[in-house]
Amino acid sequence: MTSPTASRPSTPSQRAKHVATALAVLVVAAATLTVDVQIERLPDLPGALMRIFGRMFLEPSPEWSYLPEAFGSMLESIQIAWLGTVIGAILSLPLGFFGAKNITSRLVSNIIRQLLNVIRAIPEILVAVVVFIPMVGLGAYPGMLAIGVHSIGTLGKLSAEVIEGIDPGPVEAARAAGGRPLQIQRWGVLPQVLPEIVAFWLYRFEINIRASAILGAVGAGGVGEALVQSLVFRRYDRAGMVVIVVIVVTILIDTASGWLRRRIIQGGGGASPTDLEQPELVEVDAAAIQRP
Amino acid sequence: MNAATAPRTARPRRPPRSVIGPLALLVFAAITWWAASEDFGLNFDVPRLFTNLTRGAGILAEFWPPDFSVLPRTVDPLLETIQMAIIASAIGCAVALPVAFLASRVTSPNLVAYIVDRSVLSVVRSLPDVLYALIFVAALSIGPLPGILALILFNISVVAKLLSETVDGVDQGPIEAARATGANRLLTVRWAVLPQVLPNYVAYSLYAFELNIRASAVLGIVGAGGIGNLINETRRFFQYDKLMVVVIEILILVIIVEWISIWLRRKLV
Amino acid sequence: MGPPLRYPPMIRFINASVTYPGGVHALKNVTLEIPDGQMMVIVGLSGAGKSTLIRAINGLVPLSDGDVTIDDVSVRSAKPKELREIRSRIGMIFQTFNLVNRTTVLNNVLMGRLHDAGTLRSLLAWYKPEDVEIAMQALERVGIVEKAYVRASNLSGGQQQRVGIARALAQEPTIILADEPVASLDPPTSHVVMRDLQRINRELNMTTVINLHFLDLAKVYGERIIGMRAGELVYDGTGDQADENVFRDIYGRSLTADDMLGEAAAAG
Repeated sequence: MTSPTASRPSTPSQRAKHVATALAVLVVAAATLTVDVQIERLPDLPGALMRIFGRMFLEPSPEWSYLPEAFGSMLESIQIAWLGTVIGAILSLPLGFFGAKNITSRLVSNIIRQLLNVIRAIPEILVAVVVFIPMVGLGAYPGMLAIGVHSIGTLGKLSAEVIEGIDPGPVEAARAAGGRPLQIQRWGVLPQVLPEIVAFWLYRFEINIRASAILGAVGAGGVGEALVQSLVFRRYDRAGMVVIVVIVVTILIDTASGWLRRRIIQGGGGASPTDLEQPELVEVDAAAIQRP
Repeated sequence: MNAATAPRTARPRRPPRSVIGPLALLVFAAITWWAASEDFGLNFDVPRLFTNLTRGAGILAEFWPPDFSVLPRTVDPLLETIQMAIIASAIGCAVALPVAFLASRVTSPNLVAYIVDRSVLSVVRSLPDVLYALIFVAALSIGPLPGILALILFNISVVAKLLSETVDGVDQGPIEAARATGANRLLTVRWAVLPQVLPNYVAYSLYAFELNIRASAVLGIVGAGGIGNLINETRRFFQYDKLMVVVIEILILVIIVEWISIWLRRKLV
Repeated sequence: MGPPLRYPPMIRFINASVTYPGGVHALKNVTLEIPDGQMMVIVGLSGAGKSTLIRAINGLVPLSDGDVTIDDVSVRSAKPKELREIRSRIGMIFQTFNLVNRTTVLNNVLMGRLHDAGTLRSLLAWYKPEDVEIAMQALERVGIVEKAYVRASNLSGGQQQRVGIARALAQEPTIILADEPVASLDPPTSHVVMRDLQRINRELNMTTVINLHFLDLAKVYGERIIGMRAGELVYDGTGDQADENVFRDIYGRSLTADDMLGEAAAAG
C-alpha cells in the first residue's frame, strides 16, 4: 500500500539560535582561559572554604558573647537603611510626579527621567566612596546619604511609571467638577498610585538593608564594618556571629516587609459590602445642619 | 436642593474610623525618630547636614578635571572585572536552574527537598555579595577568585528566586500531558516545564549579568579583584582626579552592558 | 428649527469649531441654543463629534474657533479661576463612571464639593458637616444612601453610575452633562438611570445634555434631539419627530440592531 506523500517541510533554520549559543560559549571560554586565577590552586578551594566556615561557626562555637555588639551594629545598619529610604521616598515622590508625562509636559518629564537614570546608574558604594566619604568623613552619615541619593533615583523612576499608568477617568472627573490642581492630584491621581508606591518604598527598604551592610565594608558604619574588623583581626568566631545576626535579622525584616506589602496592595479604604449589607440606619435631623 | 424637597430617609451609621492609618503613621514616626536620635540613632539633623555638605563641597573640586594618565593602569583591572562577571554568570546561572526547579512546588520531587532548598535559598539571599567577598578573601587570598565565588552565590540567589516564581506560575496543561504519557519527573521537567520558562530564564540570566558587572566593578574595593582595587589605591593617596577616571569608566561599562542587555532581552520577546 | 424657546437661552454655541492637533475637524461651525431646563439628547456615530460638543460646554475641550457661552459668559475666554467656577456649576456624568475605586461612595460624591470646600479640608477629607449633608442628600435623591460607606469598586455598574449622578448633583449644578451614561449598563439598568436623569431634569428644572448612541432611548427620553455627523449639526427636532428615516440620515447608513437598546424600550 502506498500512501501519497505530501512534500514535507524542511527543518526550520535554527541558525540564529546556534550562532547566539556559540557566541556565548566562546565568550565564556575566553574569559575563563584568560582570567588571572592559578589553576593549580583550585583543588585547595573546598578545603580553604571548609576551614574558614569551621572557624566561623563550628570550633569553637561562634562567639555568643559578641552577640550584643553584633546586634548593635546590625541595628545601626537598619537605621542607616531606614533613614536613607525615608530621604529617598520623600524626595522621590515629587520627582515621580514631575517625571510622569501625563502630569507635566513631555519635555519636563523627559529631563527629570534622564536625571533619575543617571542617579540610578551609579552604585551606592561608589556614591559613598567617591562623593560623601570625602565630603563628610567616615561613619554612618555618608552611608545614609549615599543610600538616600541612590534611592531617589530608583524610587523616582518607579513612581513615575506607576503614575503614568493611571486611569485618566477620575482625573477628568475632578477637573470637570471644577477642582483646583492640587485637589485633582489628591483625588484623581493619588488614590490610584499610593498603595503601589508605598509597596515600592518597603521593597526599597529591604534592599537598602543589604546596601548598608555593604557600605559598612568601606567604613560607612553598621554591620559591614563589624565584619571587616573581625576578619582583619582574624577573630573568625566573631565574624561567624556577625554573619548569623545578619542572616536572621535580614530574613525577619524581609518576611515582615513582604507581608506588609501584600496587605497594602490588597487593602484600601472603606468597608466591604458584606459588612454593610444591612447597615444600621439612623434617623437624621437634616434641618439641624442645613446650610443657611 | 434643600431639606424640604429631598426625601428624608434613614442613613447608615458611619463606620468607626480605621485605626490602621494613624497607627502606621505613628509607627513610622517612632522608627524615624529612633533612627535619627542622638542617643539611639545616627544623630541626624538637617542643619548639621547642610553645614557638613557645604564644608565638604570643596573636596569635590579635586575630582575635576579627571587625570587620564591613569588610563593604562585601568585596562587590566577592567578586563578582569568583565571576566569575573562572565564566569560567575555562566556558572551561577547554570547552577541556578536545578536550584530553581527544586524551589518550586510544581517541579520539586518531594516536600523535604522543597523546604530545604527554599530555606537554603533564603539564607544565601540574605547576605549581600560584598559580605561574601569579604569572607572569601579572608579564606583564600585577594584576587579575582573570591570575587567570582561571591558573584556565583549572588547569581544563584537572584536567578533561582526569579525562576522559581516563574515556574510556580507555569501552565499545568503540558505537565499533565507529559505525565499521561508515563514520563518520569525529570523528563516532565525537561519537556513540559523547561520550554515554557526558557525565555524567562535567558532574560533573568541577562539581567543577572547586568547586576554582576555592577557588583564586580565594586568588589575590588574589598580585595576581590577587578577595577575596584584601583579605587582603593587612588583613594589611599587622595588622587581624586585619577579616581574620577575610574568612576567614569565604571559608569560607561555599566551603561553599555545595560543597553546590550535591554536590546538582547527585547530581541528575545 | 427646534421647539419654541421657553426661557432666555442658557447655553449658546456660536460658530463653534474644534480642530485637534492631528488635523481632525471634530466640530465644524456649530451654532446652537439650549434653553434653560431643557432635556436635550445628542445622537450620532462614534467620532461624529458628540463627545467634543459636550466637552466644549465645560471647556474640557478648548475651542479652536467661535465661542460657547453659558448665560452669556464666554467659556473660551474664561481665565483658569473663572473656568473652575463655571465647571463647578456643571455636573458631568461619564460612560465609565470615573469613580475613585479605592475609596468610599461618600468620598466620591464629596468630590462634587471640591470647588466650594477649602483646599486644606478637601486634601485631608475633613469636609464641613454642611458639605457632607449635601452629599448625603444627593445620594438619597438617587436612592443609594445606604451604600455611603461602601468601597466604590464593590458596587454594581448601575449603582456606580448612580454614585456618578450623585457626585454631579452634590455640586448643586445648574447644568448636567452626560457622556454616554448608559453605554456600559444592561437594558433594565439603563432605563433606571435614564429615568433618574429625566426625574432630575423635571423636578429640579435642570438643563440636561445627554449623549446617547441607542436611538430608541433617544426617542423615548429626548425632549429635543440633536444629530451630529462628521462634526456638523445635521438635525434638530423633537423626540416625536425623529423616526427611522431621520436617524438613517444622521448616521448616513441604514440602522442595525446595535443602534437599539431593545428590550421593552417603550416600557420606559
